Amino acid sequence: MKKFVLPIVVILVLSMSGLAGAESGKVLIENSRDFDGNQVTFQGEVIGVMIRGNNAWVNVIDNGFAIGIWCSAENAKSISFTGDYTHVGDTVLVSGIFHMACSEHGGDVDIHADNFTLLSVGRGVERMPSLLAVVVSVVLMILAIFLIFWLRHLRKERGKIVPWPMHWR
Amino acid sequence: MPAARGSKISVGVSMMFGATREDLRIIGYNLSKICYVVGAILFLPIIVAVAYSEFDTIPYFLIGAAVSFILGALMSHFLYTKKEMELKHAVVMAALAWLLAPLLASIPIWLASATGSYLDASFESISGFTGTGLTLVPDIDHLAHSVNFLRHFLQFLGDGIGIIVISLSILGRTEMNSVLAFKGEAKDLGIRPSIVRTSRVIIGIAVTFLIIGTVLFTVAGVWEGLDPGTAFFDGLNHSMTGYATGGFSTRSQNLLYYHSIWIEVAAVVMMIIGAINFNLHYAVFRGRRREILKNIEVRLLLVVLLVFGLLVSANLLFSNMYSSGDAIFRKGVFHVISAQTTTGFQTVLPAHFMLLWPPFSMVILSFAMVIGGCANSTSGGIKLLRVGVLFKSFVRDIKRTLLPRTAVVRGTFHHIEDTPLTDTVVKGAALITVSYLILFAFGTLITVAHGYHLDDSMFETSSALGNVGLSSGITSPAMPPVLKVTYMFLMWAGKLEIMAIFVLIGFVILGLRRGIER
Repeated sequence: MKKFVLPIVVILVLSMSGLAGAESGKVLIENSRDFDGNQVTFQGEVIGVMIRGNNAWVNVIDNGFAIGIWCSAENAKSISFTGDYTHVGDTVLVSGIFHMACSEHGGDVDIHADNFTLLSVGRGVERMPSLLAVVVSVVLMILAIFLIFWLRHLRKERGKIVPWPMHWR
Repeated sequence: MPAARGSKISVGVSMMFGATREDLRIIGYNLSKICYVVGAILFLPIIVAVAYSEFDTIPYFLIGAAVSFILGALMSHFLYTKKEMELKHAVVMAALAWLLAPLLASIPIWLASATGSYLDASFESISGFTGTGLTLVPDIDHLAHSVNFLRHFLQFLGDGIGIIVISLSILGRTEMNSVLAFKGEAKDLGIRPSIVRTSRVIIGIAVTFLIIGTVLFTVAGVWEGLDPGTAFFDGLNHSMTGYATGGFSTRSQNLLYYHSIWIEVAAVVMMIIGAINFNLHYAVFRGRRREILKNIEVRLLLVVLLVFGLLVSANLLFSNMYSSGDAIFRKGVFHVISAQTTTGFQTVLPAHFMLLWPPFSMVILSFAMVIGGCANSTSGGIKLLRVGVLFKSFVRDIKRTLLPRTAVVRGTFHHIEDTPLTDTVVKGAALITVSYLILFAFGTLITVAHGYHLDDSMFETSSALGNVGLSSGITSPAMPPVLKVTYMFLMWAGKLEIMAIFVLIGFVILGLRRGIER
């Protein structure tokens, strides 16, 4: 029993210590001068991966504040899902040096990762159309088509048909 | 161009004679065509929704389209008239159309929960149609592709091509309506004698640059590690908003997301193309390449970019914000181009503009945004032509003072052709410039009254008024509703170059005071 409990406790303690030390995106961005050049820990959802040779950019978002992570291509290749409308991206925990204006990368705000941990794998999101929205859209569209033709017919009856724009040639 | 301003003033005066029911019918009947076109536009994102299997968003576009069609059908029936538009109708119609079209197009944005409220969706839609680019979407990265495409397409159609003119060119009964709509929309294009051919030229130029831009962005994206599908989708959208000098992006980090100089180069190319006069594009397409170097606006654009670029770069260098020359160029010069062309693409986070950038650079960027790009281009602001005219008139007046009283001092400026610098032209340019500055002061005061710093307030106000889209972080879903409405008004007024707003206000006041005459 002990041989199972001990590793679990160690993993829990390690992951909790990582979480406790992680700075939020808002704090990092709004206090960039204080963190510039310092070791930081940042956790968030992956929203984009771009592999550049042996390295890669992994954009990670936390509560609406996204930061580019400069890491090894190997780390980036471990990512399964990037977040978008139909996917929740992988969650990663990154520690590295924070730059408010990285001289190596054209003045971009970024984190050069030393440690890159995949905390959880993302998933697809099932988005079903709302029945109410479908019904309302069909009813309104039928009404719109009916109105266009009926009102046009009425006007035609009164001899006031709208001339077709013949000059568009 | 300034001559058109003069004619608008006379329109304002003619309004003093009152509004009749027939006036309202003419305006309403022509507005119905805008409703039809907006309804048709809302079908396009459905293709994107199908391509990305976002079937849940399709009903929202259908609802938006249906509401637009129903409103259009009712207006065209009950306000039917055979009478043609006059200039006064065109000006009021344009002012109202730039409100009506965004309000209709915001329906799917709101229903898809892309924004927190209908007010925010309307803000987003006005920002799209006017080519501004300020956004209230809280989570762009998780936005449906179809809704994201709509945001960008609105900029391309609204600002890149000009929805009102195109609507009337396609659905209007006569060419005169379209000619007047050009004037109402503050455009003075004399590319071709026929308005339909002019519209075709505008669409042709826009589509040509859209294709070029999409190829540039897509190739750069693939080169920088994006998968081809994402590179194409982002490339198409950024090409649309780059040409329209709109500045919406498919990413919450805007172009910073890509960490790529090649994407920035593609953006610079599209921004500058978008900021150049349609007439000049046409002249170059027709083989008159030397026009580029002779044109007063292009010369002024280069001078202003050079001066402002140097000032901002020097300021960033001495404030120790960026340590490498590469960074100073990519952040300083890029944002000067983005501000001057009134695009709004950014590679600096809004919070960093507010908290880290030196106030001097922020003020320079604000000036650039207020001045704007070329007249009859997709860019906003006062416009370089007016600034050039005022500068030339200033120099002419100094010459007049220095030379003997008997000396005749004539001024000309080269804009497609040599044009005499008359007092009417100068007065027109001065009137618009003063109106802009009054609105700029108004917007800045309201923003400062909400507790923001003066430089940030100037920056955000000039961004909204100049239809730019650069943000210092003030524009966010959490900002007060009064400020949202103020910026919506500024974007609208900036797009219409202000005079149409005064005419509309005069029309409404007279209608209320004297009632509508039969």
